[in-house]
Amino acid sequence: MALNAETIPMRWPAGPLDIARGEKVKGFTAETAEVLRKWQDPASLALVQGTPINCLVVSWGADAAQQQALKPLVEKGKQAGLEFVGLIEGEANMPAAVAAAKAAGLSAVAMEGDAPANAGIPVIPWNKAAQVRSTSSFPILGVSDGVFPGLPQAASQAGGPTNLPWVDSNGAPLLITRALAPDKTVWIGFAPPAQAKLAAEAYVLAVADPASHGARWVISLDDQLRADLAAKKQPAADTWKKLIDTVSFFEQHKELRGYQPSGLLAVMSSFAGPNFETGEEAVNLLPRLRQPFRVIARSRAASASFAGLQAIFYVDKEAPDAALRKKLMAFVADGGTLFVPSKWPNPEGAPAPAEPYLLYNMRKVGKGRLAVCKEDQPDPYDTVADIQNIMSHRTDILRLYNAPSSNFLYETTAQGKQGVIHLLNYSRRPGGDGPVFFVKEPHKSARLVSPELASPAELQWVPQETGGAELTLPRLSVYGAIEMEK
Amino acid sequence: MRQDMTRRQLLAGAGAGASALLARPAWSRAVTAPAGKVTVGKCKTYGPELIPTLEKMFDQLGGLSGLVKGKTVAMKVNFIGVRSQRLGSALMEDTFWSHPKMIGAMVHVLGKAGAKRIRVVEGPWSTTESLEEVMYSMNWKPQDILSAADNVEFENTNYLGRGKKYSRFMVPSGGIIFPGYDLNHSYEDCDVFVSLAKLKEHAATGVTLSMKNVYGTTPITIYGQDAGVDEPSIRPHGGRGNVMHFASRPPSKSAPQQMDLTLPKDAGFRLPRIIAELNSARVVNLAVIEGIKTATGCETNYGNPNRPQAAINPGVIIAGTNAVATDAVGMAVMGFDPLAEKGKVPFARCDSTLAFGEQLGVGIRDLKKNEILGVPISEVVFSYPAMMEKLLAAQKKA
Repeated sequence: MALNAETIPMRWPAGPLDIARGEKVKGFTAETAEVLRKWQDPASLALVQGTPINCLVVSWGADAAQQQALKPLVEKGKQAGLEFVGLIEGEANMPAAVAAAKAAGLSAVAMEGDAPANAGIPVIPWNKAAQVRSTSSFPILGVSDGVFPGLPQAASQAGGPTNLPWVDSNGAPLLITRALAPDKTVWIGFAPPAQAKLAAEAYVLAVADPASHGARWVISLDDQLRADLAAKKQPAADTWKKLIDTVSFFEQHKELRGYQPSGLLAVMSSFAGPNFETGEEAVNLLPRLRQPFRVIARSRAASASFAGLQAIFYVDKEAPDAALRKKLMAFVADGGTLFVPSKWPNPEGAPAPAEPYLLYNMRKVGKGRLAVCKEDQPDPYDTVADIQNIMSHRTDILRLYNAPSSNFLYETTAQGKQGVIHLLNYSRRPGGDGPVFFVKEPHKSARLVSPELASPAELQWVPQETGGAELTLPRLSVYGAIEMEK
Repeated sequence: MRQDMTRRQLLAGAGAGASALLARPAWSRAVTAPAGKVTVGKCKTYGPELIPTLEKMFDQLGGLSGLVKGKTVAMKVNFIGVRSQRLGSALMEDTFWSHPKMIGAMVHVLGKAGAKRIRVVEGPWSTTESLEEVMYSMNWKPQDILSAADNVEFENTNYLGRGKKYSRFMVPSGGIIFPGYDLNHSYEDCDVFVSLAKLKEHAATGVTLSMKNVYGTTPITIYGQDAGVDEPSIRPHGGRGNVMHFASRPPSKSAPQQMDLTLPKDAGFRLPRIIAELNSARVVNLAVIEGIKTATGCETNYGNPNRPQAAINPGVIIAGTNAVATDAVGMAVMGFDPLAEKGKVPFARCDSTLAFGEQLGVGIRDLKKNEILGVPISEVVFSYPAMMEKLLAAQKKA
């Protein structure tokens, strides 16, 4: 089996390279080193036997000792049908490492930067989200700097300017990467916090956060769990089972990977250079405002459909080329609202009345509005809050109540007949009240699927006096998806 | 008198022996609080019975025309807290918030009584959004309120809004915590100030009725956690806890400052005094407490699921010409003693806002000294303490 969209990867730290790296980290113990030695033993592969995991990502380099140490593991694993990817990081002699990977029979290597020509082995570009490249023809693209999802450990869990507790999510980089490279399967790497002893729910969320955003986490265990699994301790086995059950859950619902983010607002950017930070911040903040949206990569905007959009937030400091500007202004003339930065040259239309406190000057263009930011460096939260304010809640298609530590992602099929709302609870424990969704458009049915439920639960629509209907969900610890059909 | 106490501390009731001083502070005797006229009405739903009930109640008070005819009215409604946090699946307006039909009915009767202009005001949590937008976000139809009378408008008073400058309201007696407050212009523009509250308990002040509703007039741009240091911020961010509850930062320097920085930084101490000051500085001319549908168990559980709450339907409205008197009747309807002091429910951990209202000359909390009309209180009592007992028992059983 070659690596493809069905490949389910797991980080498999083992061998002298990982031990040497670990020894440079404070808190690394002899016990941890011993576990890494155990994990290079082919017998350790029993852990993934019978699970959906079919690919192990091992540390790789030009270092012969590492190659030799992993040889039995790779050979045994391949016999068992496992794929191996060599993750090359901080390697001075890249060509030697790549050649060694090919010689060792690895399926691919993952490495920073552009894939080298004629590597002789598939290369997975493995870059930070801000430098995601899609030049490789390989169907998998890596994001190396994911965050372990949850509530921030250091920061206060109290509400910030968004009123709701901040959450660490991989949603923004993954939505951006999907927009930049829609034909790729995205893998994202992140490790559990150092010296953390994580509850099973932490791993359920670590799987669900990327999976609900159409990507795959390169599963990575904390040192303690790895040690406890090696020692066959029951709590560790229970945690592992929950993790695997969650992976299996998303495999059973893999049709959802074909759905696309949906909303009345689109965030458009090159997501390159200085534009990345501004664009990513908007994509990070909009879920906290409960604003459904989709992301359009500027490089693909010429062919992108604006159908169903009420507004577009054009993020980039530099103006679009003439063709894209013409397309954007046609969208405005037809009734849309376009939000642009302060440097937008020669704004179209005539000034229109606007509340003075807003960050945007409004201009009337045809049936629509051009909103030009008043400030060169506007506050990111105020920016998206004003965009939502100007768009108006009158047109909200979804609203979420009672889930302050949760984000949701709304996606639909291409025809829009089926929709799904992914709900992720970053607190990893059920709230006091069950989440409630308001859905504006009528649907025939709604059912809740979740790794926390033995079977799907039909949800009851409660029509609202002023239109729309509400769905009340049971309290969820981590994740549930509402599958809806019109 | 302790030699190490300032006069202000003495007046504020701080320090050892404070409770004894609190009961009879010397300065309070100098202020004569007016008695009030309060009426009680039964109303089980927000349906057709609502407007006739209100009209009958206001007739019992002597009619609204004398109060509002030809006048500009500001009606402060109650949109407390983070709007996405509901009590289970119950709608916000059926628990913590003013109900849109109640707001519409009030606007209708005020308009019918001849109000020249009616401005519905509130400072919803941490947003520059207009009240219309807030209502849309709750799936309400603000046009139903706007069309309930002529010249109806909304204003979010959590910031400068449509005004050019903030209006200053000084506490006539000099105040205890703050000598005065800077508020949105709407509170100065109006001839008549209506507090439309909900019949609720509150974690920090025991009850939240028509007096506590006035607390929400303080703009977040001056009294919020991210308020400007020297001048008000442009946009409201966050809540009032840092400045008002805990004094961990002062309001913007442009506003009147706390007079004695040694006073306790405890919400149970500060809020009753601050609320009484606000009610003294911007007097409520018509207090209305809606208890048709509401919630028991504090108005929000602050994320603590162990504090039991329940949506309830007491089916009662209380209205009066004096906020302290109206709140006293409200407390009696809730099954509390309006004369309760600190240490007794609902003021287990806080001072009585009503007591400070009385001491600042706003009104009288003794039911016998006010004129109470309409349905007898005994017929509409909905005991919040009994409900809490029931909820706690159910929680224990679960």
